Amino acid sequence: MKRYFRELSVVGTLLAVLLGLALFAPAFFSPQPLLSLVTREAPTLVVAAGMACIIITRQIDISVSSIFSVCSVCAGLLVARGWPLVLVLPASVGLGALFGAFNGFLVAVMRLPSIVVTLATMVTLRQGLNLIRQGEFVNLPDRVQWFGLSQTAGQLVLVGFALVLLVTLAWAMRHLAAGRYLYAVGTDAEAARLAGIRPQLVTLFVFVFIGSLTGLGAMMNLAQSPQVQPLTGNGLELKVIAAVVVGGVAISGGRGNLWGAFAGLLLLACVSPALTHLHIEAYWEKAVQGAIILLAVVADGLRSRQSNR
Amino acid sequence: MSTAAHAPASYLRPRRDWRALLTRHEMLLLYVLIAEWLFFYFAGTSTNRRGVIVGFGTWDRQFDILRHSCEIGLLALALTPVIITAGIDLSVGSLLGLCAILFGKLWHDGGLPIPVAMGLTLGIGALAGALNAILITALRLPPLIVTLGTYSLFRGLAEAITRGSITYTDFPEKFLFIGQERWLGLPTQAWVFFMVALAMGLMLHRTTFGRAFRTIGLAPEGARYAGLPVERRLALAYVLAGLIAAIAAIIYTARLGQAKADAGTGYELFAITAVVLGGTSIFGGKGTILGTLLGVAAIAVLKNGLACLPVVMRLNAAEEMSGLLTGALLLVALTASVLPKILSNLRPHRHTSAQSTPQLSQ
Amino acid sequence: MSSPLLVLRQIVKNYGGVRALRGVDFDLRAGEVHALLGENGAGKSTLIKIVTGAHSPDGGTITVVGQRVVDLTPATARALGIACIYQQPALFPDLTVAENLALRLDATNMHARIDWTARRARATSLLSRIGAAISPDTEVRALSMPEQQLVEIACALGSGARIVIMDEPTASLTQKEQRLLYAVVQDLRKNGVGVIYISHRLEEIFALADRVTVLRDGQSVGTHAMGDINEAGLIRLMVGREVAQIYPAAQSAPGASVLSIRGLGCKSSGVHDVSFDVRAGEIFGLGGLVGAGRTELARILFGLTPADSGQITLAGKILHLRSPQDAVAHGIAYVPEDRRRHGVVLDLPLAQNITMAVHRRLFPKTWLRFGAERVLTLNYIRDLAVKCAGPDAHGSSLSGGNQQKIALARWLATQPKLLILDEPTQGVDIGAKNEIHKIIRRLAQEGLAVILISSDLPEVIGMSDRIGVMAQGTLRTILPSGSDPHTVMAAALGTAA
Repeated sequence: MKRYFRELSVVGTLLAVLLGLALFAPAFFSPQPLLSLVTREAPTLVVAAGMACIIITRQIDISVSSIFSVCSVCAGLLVARGWPLVLVLPASVGLGALFGAFNGFLVAVMRLPSIVVTLATMVTLRQGLNLIRQGEFVNLPDRVQWFGLSQTAGQLVLVGFALVLLVTLAWAMRHLAAGRYLYAVGTDAEAARLAGIRPQLVTLFVFVFIGSLTGLGAMMNLAQSPQVQPLTGNGLELKVIAAVVVGGVAISGGRGNLWGAFAGLLLLACVSPALTHLHIEAYWEKAVQGAIILLAVVADGLRSRQSNR
Repeated sequence: MSTAAHAPASYLRPRRDWRALLTRHEMLLLYVLIAEWLFFYFAGTSTNRRGVIVGFGTWDRQFDILRHSCEIGLLALALTPVIITAGIDLSVGSLLGLCAILFGKLWHDGGLPIPVAMGLTLGIGALAGALNAILITALRLPPLIVTLGTYSLFRGLAEAITRGSITYTDFPEKFLFIGQERWLGLPTQAWVFFMVALAMGLMLHRTTFGRAFRTIGLAPEGARYAGLPVERRLALAYVLAGLIAAIAAIIYTARLGQAKADAGTGYELFAITAVVLGGTSIFGGKGTILGTLLGVAAIAVLKNGLACLPVVMRLNAAEEMSGLLTGALLLVALTASVLPKILSNLRPHRHTSAQSTPQLSQ
Repeated sequence: MSSPLLVLRQIVKNYGGVRALRGVDFDLRAGEVHALLGENGAGKSTLIKIVTGAHSPDGGTITVVGQRVVDLTPATARALGIACIYQQPALFPDLTVAENLALRLDATNMHARIDWTARRARATSLLSRIGAAISPDTEVRALSMPEQQLVEIACALGSGARIVIMDEPTASLTQKEQRLLYAVVQDLRKNGVGVIYISHRLEEIFALADRVTVLRDGQSVGTHAMGDINEAGLIRLMVGREVAQIYPAAQSAPGASVLSIRGLGCKSSGVHDVSFDVRAGEIFGLGGLVGAGRTELARILFGLTPADSGQITLAGKILHLRSPQDAVAHGIAYVPEDRRRHGVVLDLPLAQNITMAVHRRLFPKTWLRFGAERVLTLNYIRDLAVKCAGPDAHGSSLSGGNQQKIALARWLATQPKLLILDEPTQGVDIGAKNEIHKIIRRLAQEGLAVILISSDLPEVIGMSDRIGVMAQGTLRTILPSGSDPHTVMAAALGTAA
C-alpha cells in the first residue's frame, strides 16, 4: 500500500475528477463521446508506455513526436499505394525501431545526453518531413478507417488492443528479467554492470523499444481518420512525458510503473473535456496541464526531501 | 626553497599558443560560418532584369539576417549561462510568448504607456525565471522536468489569456521603430541584442559570476566545498534567462507589430542548438558567448541564405531545409564534441597517477 | 583442521608508485573465522579487493580450494563462491528486498520469466535464517543501514558462498543486531564456510574469531590463533614500528584559544557531545578510525552539515554556521578529504582553483582582475613549491601532492583563523608528504590554529601538539604530543589499554 502510494494518489485524483464530473457535468459520461475520447488517447497510451520505460531507465526521448509523424505519413503513403495493412503495420513499427536505434546508438555508444540527441533528431525529422511533404495531407482509402468496421466496433478494437498491450507490458515489466533490468539500470547503472547486466545494451534496447511502440501508435492513429496530416504528432512528446511524470515515474530513473503512467494519461486527458463540461474555457487546458506537471514534480521533490531526512 | 625553476617571470604574462587558438571550437565554427557565407554569396546572389543586384549579396539582406536572428539570439544568450551550470531551460520560448501577450495586454487593455508596459514585462520575465529558479534550487528538482512543466504552463497561460484568438496590434510607430527601422545604420533591435551580448559576455568572462557558473557546471560539490553560493548563482542564471526572454518578447512584438499567443513557439530548440553548436558543453562548465554568437549566426545565415538560393537548389522549401540542416548540424556538432573523449578512451592512459585511489567496486 | 579454502601467497599490489601490498601471505580454512586486523591503510581493503576480483594483483598466487586461479574477476570470484559484505551496502534502493536478492543471485537472461512467489519465498527463508525481521516486499530505500547490511548478508548466504568476507559488518549495527550477526557467523562456521572478518572492535574479534592475521604497511606481521594472543599483543602488532619519520617540531608555545567548541553534535551525521579548544599556533590532531566521526565533525565546523546542539566559539565570537559561506566569512578553512572531488576542480586552471574562495576579497567589484590573480597564484606556487607548468595548467595535470598544495593554497589565500586539514597526505608520495608536513608546521608557527585529521598514526602523533582521539562519533580523550602509539590506538579502538 505504502509502496504504491504515489500511483494510488494519482488514481485517487482521477476518481475525484470523475466524481466531480459526474456531479456537475453528467453529460461527460454519455457512452459515445467517452469512447471517442478514450480512442483518441489510445495511440498516446502506447507511446506513453514506451516513455515510461525510457524514463525508468533514466533517459528521455523527445523525438517521439517526430517519429510518430514520420511513421504516420509513411504508413499512410504505403496504404494509399494499396499495401495491405498486415504489411504496413510491421513497416511502420520497423521504421520507428530504426529511428529509435539511431537515438539509442548515439546515447548508449557515443555516450551523448539523451535530451540533446533526441532534440536534434526531433528537429531533423520534423523539418525533413515538412521539406518532403510540404504539409500535404495523405488521403487514405475507405477500407483503412476503423479497419473497415463500423465506427464503434473500430473504436472498441483500438481501445481493446491498447489495453491488452498495456496489460502485457505491465506484466512484462514486472515478470520478465528484461523489465527488471530497466529498473536496475535506471537506479544505478554501475551497480547493474557489476550485477552482470550490460547497461549500454539495455539503453539501446529501450530506445529501439520506444521507437517501435511509436510506430505502432502511429498505425493506431492512422485507423482513426480518413487522412493523415503531417503535423499529427506535434506536441506528443510533452503530453506523453507529462502523463508519465504525473503518473509517478521519477525523472531520476528506477521508479514508477506503467499503471501510474496510464492513470496520469487519463488524468491529463480528462482536463480538456472536464474544462468544457464545467464551462471553463478550453484555452486553459495547456496551463492546467503544465500546473499538474509542476504539482506532481514538486510533490515528488518534497517527498524525497522528507525521506532523505 | 628553489622555486625559481618552477615559476619563471614569463608566467606573469599569459602564454599565447597560436596553434591552439586557431583550432579552438569558436575558430572552427568561424571557418564554417565564412564558408557558408561565401557559398550563399556566390550561389544566392543574382542580377535581375533591370540590372540591380538582388539576393544574398546585398546589404539589405545582411541586415535582414541580423534583424531576424535577434530573438533566437537573445534566447541563446539567456541559455548559455544556464547550460554552463549543467542545467537547461526549455521554457524560454513559451515565456517569450507569455511576455509578448502580457506586454500587449498591459499596453492595450491596461492602457499603460509603452515604457511602463516594457518595464513591467521585464519584471514578469524575471519573476517567471524566478519560479524556475525556486523549484530548481530550493526543492532541488531536475531543471529538465521543471522547465518542461513551465514550458507548458507559460504557453498555456498565454493561450488562456488571449483565449487562443486575441492578437494585439496597432502599436504606435515609435514602438515599431525598435523592430522595423534602423538606428545608426543597423536594425534597431540589433543594438539591444549586442548590448545584451556584451553584458552577458562580460558577466561570463570577466566577473566572478561567470567563474561561479563554470565551477558549478564542472563540480557542483566542489563549488560548495569552496564556499561558493551555489544556490544563489544557479538562481541568478534562471532569473536572467527569464529577463532576457522578456526582452526578446518585446523585440519580437516590435518586429512583427503584433503580439500573439504562439509567439516564439519552438524557439527554445533553435536557441539550444545555437548554444551547443557554439561549443558550450551540455555537460556544463565549458562555453563562451562568442561561440554562442557564432552559433546563432551560423543558423541565421543558413536559414536566410537558403531562401536566396535558386529554386532548384532549395527544393522550394527554405524554411524546412534550414530546420533540417540545423538539426543535422547539431547532431554532427554533438558527435564531434565527444569523439576526442571516445578516442582517448580507446588509447591506453598515459599516466596513472600514484594517488588514484581505487574506487570501492560495489 | 580441514583443508584450506583460500591460500594467498606473496600478493603484491602497487597503485602507481605506492606499494599497497608487499608480499602478503594469508590462508583461510573451511569452518573458521579468520580476523583481519590492521590500521587504516595497512592494506586490508586492498587485500579484500584482490580476493573479490575487483583488482588484480601485480604479483603472487591465489589458490581457491586447491585450485590455482589466474585472472580473478568479480564474476569468477562469485562463481567460485566468494561473497563480500561491504560496509556501505551496494543495493538498488528503488527495488524491493526480494528483487535485490534476485538480481544478485540469479544469472538471468533478458527474456527469463520471473517467479515472484519463489523469489519472495527464498528471500523470506534467507532473511529468517539470519533472524532478520524484514519483509521481502519492502523497498530497500526504506530500510535502515544495518537492515541493508542484513540483506547483503542474506545475499551472501543465498549465493551459497564458501568464502564470506565481512568488512566491518557491525560498524552501524545496534547491540541486538550485532548479536544476530554473531549468530549468523556461528551458523556459517558450522556449515563449513570460511569467514574473513574485518573489524576494529577487538572484543568482537576475541569473541568470534579462531585466528587473526595482522597487516601492517602492506605486509603480514603474523597470524595467531586467538588463544595465543591478548589485546595488548594485538595492538603491539598493529602499531609495531617506531615513529621513524622525522617530523618538524614545534618551536614556540601555542597562544590564546582560537576555537572553542562545547557539546557539539549533529544527529544526522552521528556526532555528539564533542568539546575541545584549539589555540593559536597549535596543531590539534584528530585521530581515530575511519567512521569515528572526524570528517563529520569537520563538516559541521565548515557549515556543510549544520550542528543541532552545542556551541562553536571562534576568536571569542559565538558562531552559527549554516553554510560554508558563513564558515569562510568567519575565517574557517577546510581542506577536504576527497581532493579530486571536493578539494580541487580538476578541469579548471590552477589560478582559478586558488582564487575560488577569495572572490570577494580579490575581486571586490566582482570584476576579475587577472593580474592580481596571477600574482597571487604565482606567490603560492612559489611559496608552496608547487611543481606545475604555470598558473594556467589544469588541476588534472598535477600529481596528488601538488594538487593537495593547490587545495591548501586556496584556503591559505583566505587568510583563515582556523585551518582544518582532512587527511592532507593521503595518497601522496613520501617527498611531497614531508613538504606538506613542513608547510603545516610553518603555518602553525605563524599563528594559525590547525586541526589535523589523519588516519596515519605516526603522522598524527608526530605532527600534533595535542591529539584528540575520536570513536563512535564523539571525542574520547585528548592525549599530549608524542604519546605512545599504543595508547592512541587503544583509545581509538575503545579499549582501556
